[in-house]
Amino acid sequence: MNSLFRTFSVAASALLLMGTMARAQSSDPINPPPTRKDWLALSKLPDWSGVWTPDMIDQMKQVKTNVPPWTPAVAKQIEFLEAEEKAGRPFLVFKGCLPESMPAWMLISHNAMEIMFTPGRVTMLGESDGNRLRRIYTDGRKHPDDPDLTFHGHSIGHWEGDTLVIDTVGIMPETFLAVSEAVGIPNNGDVHIVERIHLAGPGTLHDDLEITAPHVLTKPWKTTRIFYRQRKQKYDIVEGVCLEGSFKHTTDKNGNAILEPLAYDSQGTPVPNSAK
Amino acid sequence: MNRFVTFLAAISLPVLFTQAALAHHSFAMFDLTKTVTIEGTVKEFAWTNPHVILWVVAAPKDGQPEQVWSLESTSPGNLKRIGWTKRTFNPGDRVRVDFSPLRSGETGGAFKHALLIDTGKEVEALAAATASGKPDIE
Repeated sequence: MNSLFRTFSVAASALLLMGTMARAQSSDPINPPPTRKDWLALSKLPDWSGVWTPDMIDQMKQVKTNVPPWTPAVAKQIEFLEAEEKAGRPFLVFKGCLPESMPAWMLISHNAMEIMFTPGRVTMLGESDGNRLRRIYTDGRKHPDDPDLTFHGHSIGHWEGDTLVIDTVGIMPETFLAVSEAVGIPNNGDVHIVERIHLAGPGTLHDDLEITAPHVLTKPWKTTRIFYRQRKQKYDIVEGVCLEGSFKHTTDKNGNAILEPLAYDSQGTPVPNSAK
Repeated sequence: MNRFVTFLAAISLPVLFTQAALAHHSFAMFDLTKTVTIEGTVKEFAWTNPHVILWVVAAPKDGQPEQVWSLESTSPGNLKRIGWTKRTFNPGDRVRVDFSPLRSGETGGAFKHALLIDTGKEVEALAAATASGKPDIE
């Protein structure tokens, strides 16, 4: 009798467990393996191969010609930062080699990037911040209800003809909405970015951004950022670990090659001590 | 004059890359209206991200004690595209260097140009227009 009861209990527990697993799976979507059709579909997308370098001259021009609609309180802070920069006391927007983040990467980066298409994904790979990247999901998923807040946010995208439309939320409030490396303001949360990226010529890519940042802007801010295609191999992306500059290449007492941390100044810039 | 110097000379926009491209700290720390020239010996050439740094031991003026100067440029990735390599400068090289000095008065600046005295080779900073001006898809 005891044995029969035990058998029944084990069977009932197993059924219960299987039921639980089935429920968990239904709310736990997988990334299906890409099919041949998925790979073939990529060949219909526009050619964004090569390395893309930002138009820095245009970035600098837009600091004056396309000023974000700052709230009055933020405008005063921006004015102060501009005066500080002019006086030779620039504020350090990217303290401690933290990522430029979104949207600042697209707005003011001085570094190259490449863009890769794979089934369900567009991936942007940048040369700096060792090495920064954006994952843009094009598999039809939605944003998470309560996304973790990150430097680059959560991005979903879809194609409208040859234009990639990207929607980004979930950006960390402490990251800077920056117009230059010395002038920017923490976005303070609830940022929403819509980008429309498309070729404007065989070697020119435009990113049309509409940035909503309700705590620092009075209305959505529109700007187009320009990137140029480079095909020469000298432009191939190289490793760019920003934090490398925060260490000194040296040897320890046993003769091992080591990276020794440098001291930081009050602005968060490493103080190169190899001169000492 | 080597090929890339000729190329840079052809760039009409006088904006130096160093004015804006020292990632993660602003160009405003350097006084770009001034050019300082020193002549000395390379102590170390740090081919590192985010900034390449050339360390030069030089006396600011004749008779003054030697000091170590740190002269920054942009990243290895950006510089390799105009012909720099990790061996562009080597410890012991005698150099004459032009740079925009730090406003703080410390011994450092934004690299503009160098002459390698023993070989006559000239090395230029990257101009923003060169770095970003147009596609190169030939």
